[in-house]
Amino acid sequence: MVLVKLEKAKLACHWTWNTKDETCGICQMPFDGCCPDCKIPGDDCPIVWGPCEHSFHLHCILKWLNSRQHCPLCRREWHFN
Amino acid sequence: MPSSPARRSKRRSSSTQRKRGSSSEGLANNKSENSNRQEQPSNKKLKKDAKKEDASVDAKPQNLLTLFNKEAPIRSNTEMSVSNGKLQQNNQRDASSRSSFGNTQKSASKLVIRPLASAPAVSKDFPEQVWTNYLRPAVRAIQNATKVSFSYEELYRKVEDICLLKLGSLIFEKLQEEVEQHVVKQINSLQGYAHDAETFLYGVNKVWEDHCNQMKLVRSIFLFLDRSFVLHNAPVRSIWDMGLKVFRKYLQQNTEVERKTIQSVIALITAERNGENIPQDLVKEMIRMFLALEIYGESFEKAFLDASNEYYKNEGNVLLQQYDIYTYLKHVENRLSEEVNRVVLYLDRSTKAPLIQLVENCLLESHTVEILEKGFDSMMDENRQEDLARLYRLLARVHQLDQLKKYLGAYTKNTGARIIHDPEKDNELVQLILDMKDKVDSIVSNCFDKNEAFQYTVKESFESFVNMRQNKPAELIAKYIDQILRTGNKGYTEEELEGTLDKVLQFFRFIHGKDVFEAFYKKDLAKRLLLGKSASLDLEKSMISKLKAECGAGFTSKLEGMFKDIDLSQDIMKAFYESVEWKQCGNEIDLSVVVLTSSYWPQNAHEEVKLSKDLLKLQNAFSRFYLNKYAGRKLTWNHSNSMCTIRANFPKGQKTISLSLYQTLVLLLFNDADALNLKEIQEGVGLGMKELKRTLQSLACGKIRVLKKEPMSREVENEDTFYFNKDFQDKRYRLKINQIQVKETPEENQQTTERVVQDRQYQIDAAIVRIMKTRKSLTHSQLMSELYEQLKFPYQPADLKKRIESLIDREYLERDADTPQLYRYLA
Repeated sequence: MVLVKLEKAKLACHWTWNTKDETCGICQMPFDGCCPDCKIPGDDCPIVWGPCEHSFHLHCILKWLNSRQHCPLCRREWHFN
Repeated sequence: MPSSPARRSKRRSSSTQRKRGSSSEGLANNKSENSNRQEQPSNKKLKKDAKKEDASVDAKPQNLLTLFNKEAPIRSNTEMSVSNGKLQQNNQRDASSRSSFGNTQKSASKLVIRPLASAPAVSKDFPEQVWTNYLRPAVRAIQNATKVSFSYEELYRKVEDICLLKLGSLIFEKLQEEVEQHVVKQINSLQGYAHDAETFLYGVNKVWEDHCNQMKLVRSIFLFLDRSFVLHNAPVRSIWDMGLKVFRKYLQQNTEVERKTIQSVIALITAERNGENIPQDLVKEMIRMFLALEIYGESFEKAFLDASNEYYKNEGNVLLQQYDIYTYLKHVENRLSEEVNRVVLYLDRSTKAPLIQLVENCLLESHTVEILEKGFDSMMDENRQEDLARLYRLLARVHQLDQLKKYLGAYTKNTGARIIHDPEKDNELVQLILDMKDKVDSIVSNCFDKNEAFQYTVKESFESFVNMRQNKPAELIAKYIDQILRTGNKGYTEEELEGTLDKVLQFFRFIHGKDVFEAFYKKDLAKRLLLGKSASLDLEKSMISKLKAECGAGFTSKLEGMFKDIDLSQDIMKAFYESVEWKQCGNEIDLSVVVLTSSYWPQNAHEEVKLSKDLLKLQNAFSRFYLNKYAGRKLTWNHSNSMCTIRANFPKGQKTISLSLYQTLVLLLFNDADALNLKEIQEGVGLGMKELKRTLQSLACGKIRVLKKEPMSREVENEDTFYFNKDFQDKRYRLKINQIQVKETPEENQQTTERVVQDRQYQIDAAIVRIMKTRKSLTHSQLMSELYEQLKFPYQPADLKKRIESLIDREYLERDADTPQLYRYLA
């Protein structure tokens, strides 16, 4: 008979954005933080990826996409992954 | 019988006529007439008629009559004419009666009325005689309190006669002379009178009373003088006033008596102040005498106030040394009410204001600082509300509340500073400060009339002392709140806890470094939420809303985010239980995971740990599920905040134990081995040595010892060996082993503080750039003063200098080439 049996575990973990870069290529703010228009990072200021695997703050890339439809870093065509 | 009065009066009138005609003294009313009048005292009208008839019938003494008319305005001419008409009738009636009489004696002789041969004159020495023979003896008799040998009525008549002769002035002078002589004698008689104040005053009072009584009597006798001569000669005073004037004159002339009188009165009052019984009526009489003589203001009051001033000045100096402040203040209050009573009892009302002011001045105003210096702090220390209220009342009278306020502020500040600077009291600091705030608040509202200026001073003082020590108070407040929310309702209702939180928040309000508070609060909140230590979520949420109301939404957004994460995690877990990943694991272990948004939660130092196989499988399953659901994220496991429940089969009974993940992992190792040394355990669990030792300590050295340690000691050493405690027994079925780690480690504290410092640096940078961007160029001191307004937390000027240097390095700013004091903003 086992001496000690684990019955219940309550674990805690942090989630962060799984990005290659540390900072947003548009606003140069860290992905851990938020775009300059937001105050609170996290779900309210999400990060998006393009097919080129470059990532930006959603709010930043939306502004950029108003004028052009390609990635601001590699100029490949942009659509949301 | 209408004819009878007329007839009688006629008879009387003829008799008077005869008398007037014959009597050398003319007008003198002799006794017979007197008695005649007394015969019919009630029938005044009749008497009047008779008199009028009198007048018309003897028209002869014309001069007298006119004099009569002039002197007594009642008998006006019109009346005369009317009465003449009546008289005519009477005459007719007389005539008819006479005629009927004459019917019997046929030869009726005609009555002829002729003027007197010579007008009746008054002898020159008439007033002199009256004075010498009647009035003077009477006055002297009155003055000597012997029997007056004339009837007052008679005397009155004499005076009236003299007045009618317009000789009033003469007699007035004589009377005054007489009064003067007597008064001088009386007052001088007081000169050598007893030395004892009371007896002397009785003497004075006797003289004064006698004088008054005599003057009253004299006035009654000389009433006609008052009504005729005095009334028509404006500058002449009435007899009564003359009496007072004379009395005053000679009293003042005899300075010795006057001085002694005043001094004696003052001596009596002083005796009363010293607690002796004095004849208050006597003093009252004396004061009334002063008032009547109109020497109260100039002679008495001044001397009295001087003496009082001297007395109270002395008393203030002596008693302040002799008494403690409480007794002294009580005494002052008694004194004030005594003096008010004194005014009511025997002094003149006009004295009240200066007298009270004088007492206040001598006993309070000039000693305000000394009183406060000596007594205020101890009153506050001992919370003597009654005395404090008294102090406030008294100082309010003398407009010294500003001083009191100053002392209150200083006291609050000093006491608070003493508490705050004492590191030994850190544990109870918040409670101490809250108690103190309660106390001071209750004193202000109970004793200081809820004075707003005082409340403000208290607030200011709190703010200043609370911020005397940087950061620590903010940290301690956060900890205090943690204690409340964690241990929760130990005998307290929710309302009471809410009340305590409100109070703490008041304290929090004074703190400048709110960021320090936030950091510590966040850390504690994280522990409460993750380890399930929170007493009540409602209470937590209400605290958050309080903080939000206090500091704005920005302050609490992260804290609210933490609650959101907890809620969201529950939803995620529900979804996870439905998922394929969960079903693949087999449901032996009940798993729940909280996924935290890293920016909301305080970062913990990452500890490597080797999970047990089962647990690792579960963890990976969850990771797969989560990352599928939320693309673009990664998970970092934070095991230091993980909790587990195990079932332990001790030979002496089965127990359910809740403990931390680290503790669990250590215990799980003993499923496969009976004894493990420290090194083996570390290999099995993979924890850092420090953390591991702490964990082992909690398992083997705490209250609940599920492990046995060889050798036994309180500390875990490298050579120790551990066994599963087969002898373990406990009455309870469910047990909880606390982590020692739950207590804040110095490193954690350090980290939190460093994080705050880091945050502040950014804030300082931002503020400098903001200011310089608008101003373009500023001198160092100008920049500093602008920063002072913008920055909401305490800082050292040296810190600011460092930040300015750093900004210059990063080319946000430059120093002016000519004046090194001047900074320029670089666009």
